Parts: sequence; structure tokens; C-alpha cells
Amino acid sequence: MSSHHQAIQDKLAMGITWSVAMLLMSTFLWLFSDIVIHGISGVSWEFLTARPLNAGREGGIAPILVSTALILMVCMAIALPIGLGTAILLSELTHQFGWMSNLIRRSLDVLAGIPSIVFGLFGNAFFCITLGLGFSIVSGGLTLACMVLPILIRSTEEGFRALPADYRLSAAALGLSQASTLISLLIPAAMPAMLAGFILGLGRAIAETAALIFTSGYVDRMPESLWDSGRALSIHIYDLSMNVPGGNANAYATALVLITLLFIINAGAQAIGHRWSSKRVLVA
Amino acid sequence: MTKRIPVLLVLLAILPALIGCQESPAANQPIHKLIITGSSTVAPLIADIGKRFEAQHPDIRVDVQTGGSSRGVADARSGIAHIGMASRALHPQETIDLLATTIAQDGIGLIVHADNPVANLTTQQVIDIYTGKVTNWQSLGGMNAPIVVVNKAEGRATLEIFLHHFHLANSAIKADVVIGDNEHGIKTVAGNPQAIAYVSIGTATYDATAGVPIKLLQLNSIPASLATVQNGTFPLSRPLTLVTTKHPRPLAQTFMTFATSPHVQNLVIQHSFIPLPS
Repeated sequence: MSSHHQAIQDKLAMGITWSVAMLLMSTFLWLFSDIVIHGISGVSWEFLTARPLNAGREGGIAPILVSTALILMVCMAIALPIGLGTAILLSELTHQFGWMSNLIRRSLDVLAGIPSIVFGLFGNAFFCITLGLGFSIVSGGLTLACMVLPILIRSTEEGFRALPADYRLSAAALGLSQASTLISLLIPAAMPAMLAGFILGLGRAIAETAALIFTSGYVDRMPESLWDSGRALSIHIYDLSMNVPGGNANAYATALVLITLLFIINAGAQAIGHRWSSKRVLVA
Repeated sequence: MTKRIPVLLVLLAILPALIGCQESPAANQPIHKLIITGSSTVAPLIADIGKRFEAQHPDIRVDVQTGGSSRGVADARSGIAHIGMASRALHPQETIDLLATTIAQDGIGLIVHADNPVANLTTQQVIDIYTGKVTNWQSLGGMNAPIVVVNKAEGRATLEIFLHHFHLANSAIKADVVIGDNEHGIKTVAGNPQAIAYVSIGTATYDATAGVPIKLLQLNSIPASLATVQNGTFPLSRPLTLVTTKHPRPLAQTFMTFATSPHVQNLVIQHSFIPLPS
């Protein structure tokens, strides 16, 4: 009797779990198929290589793809060194700077919870106006860097923490200095975690609208330098769907391009994760 | 694993290169930048006018940024922008230090879903709807369903013109939905047969013609159309303007002369606005 009862309970729990998972998946599938159905006819080689015409209703998105890539490059070029340095401080040097790492962790948690429009307004006030960088790809990249730092640092820090203490003990036993232990042992070993964080950060950055509209801006011309304003993919989608009558078709096509890029980035993150877990043993 | 270190080193190495080498873009030919910010209604039109201007002046880049009319006025005053865009006339206190140049006209019309049987509203009915005195379509000759009131966000020129025309205070409005850009309002109404909103007549005409299920309401039996705005019979209209300080730079002046010339009239019409009389 009680085993029968248990079986029903198990089935119920199983059913609920399944339907919740299905609900989640169907939400995604609905969204994705909507974008594919409406967007697929608009995406072509020409769409990817032409410049936008008539406020984006016609033409393509070539300058927007280039601007997006440049913004991401600036973002990562700034965020990676800062992220790595901070993660090393947090995970390897906490015993020397205990109070400081607490303060840093608290700051990161707060940063991670700040809405992106606040980053956008901060970026506009600080990078564009105070530092005089104007509406530019550099301003946008720097603003995004502030935004992805928490993800990047936390994931890299976890990578360092996941390394067995044996590594550090053996290195110390061999008489290696802390610096060479870091450079030749710990950083290479934690690199996959760092790359995973990098790719997660990239995924967040590429989908960002609010942080960019007042920093890298609205100009859809092919950027000639990093000091030019350049429109990111997400802003192009926003403007076409919310501000340009008749812009829906190209908004969908651009959304399809963006979501494809997100897929590629996520697949990259997963591939790195797999390689990491299968290659945990170091070849020193 | 160690072979991944070069990846990081490369990234670190390009960092100063990225920041340093771009200091002077195109040193052989000085590029002049004209920065224009403001109204999201005007921005797509000015961006297109800017492209035509760039084609005639290869050494000039016209950078257009959005953010709303209030931002355009503020940026023109502070000097962050050479020209601000506003989809309204300047307030009296703004004309003390600023100058507005009208480049086109636009009307503001009330829209409902295409399935809504109501076709005309009087001034009093609009006031009653927006102040929450009338909350059901039935008393206006429509279906028995609650009215979903869509209002514009603060800082939007369309809001100011609407409030001014109907002598309303924004605090008196009982809004169910608050929106930003024109298309935002149109999408809200197209997706809700009980909603009412007010948007640019040009934008609404374009979308209604393209098959979006919305319709423009008559106001006091005057149809809301580009024609009635142009001949002055429709009361809710506004100028689309470029705002500068009293003494704009020569480049800004050249651009404004171009933006008010017959060379851009077809762009104004293409963006569903009413061009200046030629």
C-alpha cells in the first residue's frame, strides 16, 4: 500500500518537473520560431554586407555588425586584464588582503545587480562627458566592460578556487615563487574557467541595449575609428521595432542574426566547458 | 593547457594598440563632426538627411543620437550637441537663449484598434477618458469593455502637446500603460482592442496603410490625416525642429539650411511627415 502511494507521489513529482521543463522549453521555442519565421526571409549575404538605407527599412546591417564587434573587442580588451587581476587577488592573495577582498566582493555583488540603464547613464556622464570620449565605440566598450566585470571575475575566481590545493603545495615544495606558480601553473590551469566567464560576459554584452544607447550611440555609418559612434545590433533592433514605422521586417532579420551569434557564443562556452572537464589532469 | 597563455598575451598586447593608435583618425584629411541629439521622432529623418548631407560634403560626418526632445534641448544648450532635435515648439523660457528652426510638421492623433467601432471623439470625451471619468467603451458607443488608457512617458514632446491641448495636468491622467516611442504606442494598441493612445499621425498613417490593425479617430468630427494637419484644420499639430544656441556654428548653420531646403523634401515625405511649404 505504502509503496503504491510512493509510486503515485513519484509520478506526480516527475510530472510536475517535466511540465515545468516543457513550459520553459516551449517559451524558448515560441520566441525562437517567431524570430526565425519572420526573420529568415530577410537574412541574406547581401543583408549582412550592405549598409542600412531609409532609416534601416531597406539595405543591410554591415556597419552595425562591425560596430558591435568593435564594441565587444574594446569591452573585452579592458575587462579581461582587470578581471584576471581581481580574480587572482580574490582567490590567491586573500590571506594578505582579507578586508580588501571582502570590499571587492561586496562591490561586485552590487555591480551585478545594477540595471543596465544605470550603467548607460553612468557611461554617458563619465566616459562620454567627463572624460570627453563623446558618443564613441570606446565609450560603449568601457561601459560594457564595467557591466561584464562581475561575471568575468566571479567565474575566474571560481576557476582558481576549484584548483586542488595540492598544486600550490607542490609548487611551494619545489621552491617556486608565488609569481611563477601563478604564471606557469595556476593561470593556465584556470584558463578554461576564465574563457567560460569571458564567453558568458560576451553573451551578456552582445545583447545589451540600454547601456549602449547613450554611450556608443545611434549612428549607423561604417565606423572609421574607435572614436566614432557606432550602432550595436540590439539598438538597431530596438530602433527599427519601436521607432521606425515599417521597420519590423528588418528588425526580425537583425534579431535572427543576433540570436544566431548568441547560439555560436553559447556553443563555444559549452565546448570549452566540456574540454575543461575532460582535461582536468595537468600536463605540467 | 599552457599553449593558451599566448591568447591572453595577444589580448593584453592589443589593448594599448586599440587605445593608442586610433588617436588621430584620418590625419591627412580633417573630418568635421556635427553632433545632433534629441527627439526619437525626428532622429530617423535627420539621420537620412545627414547621409544626404555627407554625400555632398565628404569631409563632414553627421552623428545623430536619440533620447527625447528634452534631451535635445538640454544638449543644445550645454554644448554637448551642436544641434538638438525637438518634436515641439520651444517653451517661452527656452527661447531666451535658444533658436528653433522648423524642418517639418507632424500631427498627433488618437488611435484605437481597427476592431473598435468608435470612430469619433469630442474634446470632452478625450478628457473624460484620460482623467478616468469614463472607463468603459459602451458609453462612447463602443463595446462593453473597459478602456485601457495608454499615456506617454515624461519628457516626451507628444505628451506635452497632448496635455497642453486638452488643458490637462499629467498628474490628473489615469494611465494603464505608459509608453515611450511612437511605434511602442502603435504596437500596444494593435495588440489590445480596448486600448486608446495618441501618437504621431504620420507614423500611424504609415502603419495603418501597411496593414497594422489600428485606426486614427476623428477629433470633434475632424479626420486626423496628413491633409488636415497640412491645411491647419486638425488642431493637434506640432513643428519638428532643430534647436541651437542663438549663434550656431557655421557648420550647424549650413546643415540647417540644407535640412530646410527642397533637396530633402522627398525624405520628409518618405518619413510620413509634412514638408515645409515650398
